[in-house]
Amino acid sequence: MSPEQIISDLHATSLSALEQATTLDALEAIRVDALGRKGKLAEVSKAFGKLAPEERARVGKLLNTVKQDLETRLDQRKTALDSVAIDVRLESEWVDLTAPAPGIRPGSLHPITHVQRELEELFVSLGFAIMDGPEVETEHYNFDALNIPADHPARDAQDTFWLKDGRLLRTHTSPVQIRALEKFGPPLKMIAPGRVFRNEEVDASHEHTFYQLEGMMVDRDVSVAHLLYFMKTLLSAIFHRDVTVRLRPGFFPFVEPGFELDIQCLICGGKGCPVCKHSGWVELLPCGLVNPAVLRAGGVDPEQWNGFAFGLGLTRLAMMRYGIDDIRLFAGGDLRFLRQF
Amino acid sequence: MKFSYNWLRDLVDQLDTPPSELAQLITIKTAESEGVEAHGDDCVIEIDNKSLTHRPDLWGHYGMAREVAAILGRKLIDPVEPQEFPRSASVRVSIEDHALCPRYSALVFDNVTVKPSPQWLQQRLEAVGLNPINNIVDVTNYVLAELAQPMHAFDAAKLQGSEIMVRPARAGETIKALNDETYTLDPSNLVIADSTGPVAIAGIIGGADSAISNSTTRIVLESANFNASSVRKTSSRLRLRTDASMRFEKAQDPVNTIRGLERAFALLQEVSPGVRLAGGLADNYRPIPVPPPVVLSLDWLNRKLGRAVPEDEVRRILESLEFRVEEIAPRVFSVFVPTWRATKDVTIKEDLVEEVGRMIGYDSIPPVAPLTPARVPPASPEREFHHRVRLMAAAQGFTEVHNYSFISEDTARVFSVDVSAQVQVSNPIVSDQNLLRTSLLPGIWKNIRDNARHFDRFRLFEIGRAIHPDGEVPRFTAAMFAKDNGASGVFELKRLAECLLPGVSVRPADATQSYEHPRRTGDVLCGETNVGRLFEFHPKMVEGGRAAVLDLDLTRLMQLQPTPERYQPLRRFPESAFDLSVVANPRTLIADIQSALEKLAGDALLSIVFLREFALPDGARSLSYRLTVGAPDRTLSAEEVGLVRTRIIEGMRSAGYELRL
Repeated sequence: MSPEQIISDLHATSLSALEQATTLDALEAIRVDALGRKGKLAEVSKAFGKLAPEERARVGKLLNTVKQDLETRLDQRKTALDSVAIDVRLESEWVDLTAPAPGIRPGSLHPITHVQRELEELFVSLGFAIMDGPEVETEHYNFDALNIPADHPARDAQDTFWLKDGRLLRTHTSPVQIRALEKFGPPLKMIAPGRVFRNEEVDASHEHTFYQLEGMMVDRDVSVAHLLYFMKTLLSAIFHRDVTVRLRPGFFPFVEPGFELDIQCLICGGKGCPVCKHSGWVELLPCGLVNPAVLRAGGVDPEQWNGFAFGLGLTRLAMMRYGIDDIRLFAGGDLRFLRQF
Repeated sequence: MKFSYNWLRDLVDQLDTPPSELAQLITIKTAESEGVEAHGDDCVIEIDNKSLTHRPDLWGHYGMAREVAAILGRKLIDPVEPQEFPRSASVRVSIEDHALCPRYSALVFDNVTVKPSPQWLQQRLEAVGLNPINNIVDVTNYVLAELAQPMHAFDAAKLQGSEIMVRPARAGETIKALNDETYTLDPSNLVIADSTGPVAIAGIIGGADSAISNSTTRIVLESANFNASSVRKTSSRLRLRTDASMRFEKAQDPVNTIRGLERAFALLQEVSPGVRLAGGLADNYRPIPVPPPVVLSLDWLNRKLGRAVPEDEVRRILESLEFRVEEIAPRVFSVFVPTWRATKDVTIKEDLVEEVGRMIGYDSIPPVAPLTPARVPPASPEREFHHRVRLMAAAQGFTEVHNYSFISEDTARVFSVDVSAQVQVSNPIVSDQNLLRTSLLPGIWKNIRDNARHFDRFRLFEIGRAIHPDGEVPRFTAAMFAKDNGASGVFELKRLAECLLPGVSVRPADATQSYEHPRRTGDVLCGETNVGRLFEFHPKMVEGGRAAVLDLDLTRLMQLQPTPERYQPLRRFPESAFDLSVVANPRTLIADIQSALEKLAGDALLSIVFLREFALPDGARSLSYRLTVGAPDRTLSAEEVGLVRTRIIEGMRSAGYELRL
């Protein structure tokens, strides 16, 4: 047989074996058999020396062509087989993604915490410090220093839990105003969120334990206009929309002048609806310019400094935010309720 | 407080603003209206009493009429016609302490006919919620509702002696009041007395024995002024609030007693024709102090309001409210406060900011951002730490609860708390919730039992204050409940503790409380510092499952938080690891073996990790650890690693432990 014949046969045999190979091992065997160092093509090229120069050139060229062709075909076949193999593996690795994921689920934070944190972040962004005061207070901080002397009728409105040692449970977060003034002095921008207590019978809308957020700014020449600005800015951020506010007279001994701040009803936009009792306004928070007696009690000269203060009912805000109609749920510890937040 | 629209119309010239619109204006400028209701041909505007606590004058229609007149720019009509009463009083009044009764004025009338009041008078009283009784009593109530001056009519025939005494009650004195209740008094209660005893509780209620009856023909008409806090104390001690006491509590104007009598004089002639004044005016009073004028700088006023108000507008507003205004320097007013606002309400210039502000309308003040330097506020690291703890607990599956600060003595005993060392509430909401919590455990225990009714397993936590006589301590208490008999709870909670304070360890407790599982209770330590307790509830405490608790002192937890300062360079030389298994007695602690191994390993030890335990047939435990050793400046040779390992093995053996190699 001529060398060309041998090469062509070898080519054909290898191609047909390649067609039938189904595994990578079979492919490798074919490669070794045809292209290996001791393979059949190598065998043929050993006989090159005996050929005439012009024949050698021709056979050499053929040999290279076949070699390249076989290599290409082998690669192609290998790629095809690889792809089948990975497909088979992937197919076998099916999982049911609708199965429940293992591990614990995160718990949730109390609704008051959510509202409180949101407000804290908001106030901090406006340069307010966050302060704390004790839950057990003295009469001085809870009443006297806030311009509520012993025989003041305002004490009636705040049914107080008295302690046997003569102290009391704070009825509002306002005592922190005095504590903050004593500790830091003016100028001061601060809020004090926290737990307060009133000796009230508990029902769906009354609790003896609830949360307030006190706020105060003391600086030079703080005005009603500044109070309005802060309240409008804050409430717009709290309710995530532009709100319209109004002030009307309200009496609180620790401020003068004192205001009730109303916001235009967010449900009806001021036209009147059951939520705002058809007035178009919802009473939201008491506020005012800090009474000079309060500043003096905090060691601050009211001729040099003045400020505004406000009190926000965190519990009430959380009720509005989440549509909670029973205040008892907050301290009820019922996970069916608490897990919703 | 109910205000009759028709009554206000009598007192304000040309009042034609519809009632509901008027109520809105009063809300914005003066006091909160709670609604408007039709009452026959009248309309009643209800004003929230809470918004009137500082305004003695607004407890009568005339005071509100003054506001309305000022708001609308109308003329105020005074219903009182001044009278010249003769000075020869036919009744003598003695006042023991003028501090308690600054003024007591009285008139005596003869030839009185007691009968029902005319229709118009009855309608007025009914509109504002007062019951018509008879013409005499109705006149006193009319004056009360119109001028805010409480009055009282005695049947003169039933008063003994010629003197009316205003004095503290004697201990144990009793009086049968007009409401048919009998009150036992003490010296803190002021009374009006005749020669035989109390005939009225001052400023609160009259006595039944001297009440006006159909046979009354001669009356003593009292128009007095009593000390606000004295009336308030007596009223709250006797649990008796009346229309009179509500007004006196607000500090009424002593000048008003005479106006009350003048008004009553005119009304009596109308409702009891033929009535005659017997003698003249009895009027016992101490000098009525005239408060100094309030100096008001208009520039200061504008700065407080944040809006410029023209000088003549300020003057007009103040004068319409009957303040007297004198300009004592350019743009400085000296403001004289009318007597009915001077008892308590208006004393400082800030009070005048309110008068001007509300009348110009706060809605006329545009919001303005303050021009203050930007400052970084003082930090609140404690609060931030608490919140990080909260987020960590929630990430580990725990849900936040809030519990009350009150607990009962029974609960305190369950938790082995010394009741006498707790802060106690004098007036608890429920008699048994009289202690302040010194621990969050009682609340958490209740949460566990309540929620076990709805869930097979759950995790919850609270951050709250434990209240001790000497201070408040923030605590973190977490619990895990599962309806099974496993011990996973304490380990889940231990993991939470490790997340909250890296490096924390748990040591079995030497002594346990009755609510704790004696074999599943430990102290949580950071180094040598105790930061809390980890325990499973004693099975008798929780039914139908197991509940474990982690109870931590947040202050200590925060103080002990590690603060990374300088980083450790990454190791450049390979390390070597080998495993060792130590055979130990059943209750030998994993941590104890580990520290023994650590000690023996010495400086070369980079880390030691407990791998697993394995129970041996004889009941002993085989505890396996993986030790990693290395040196910072080179690779340890196989021989060096072998030496460390041999040292440990021999050390453990000589300490009496068998090693499984």
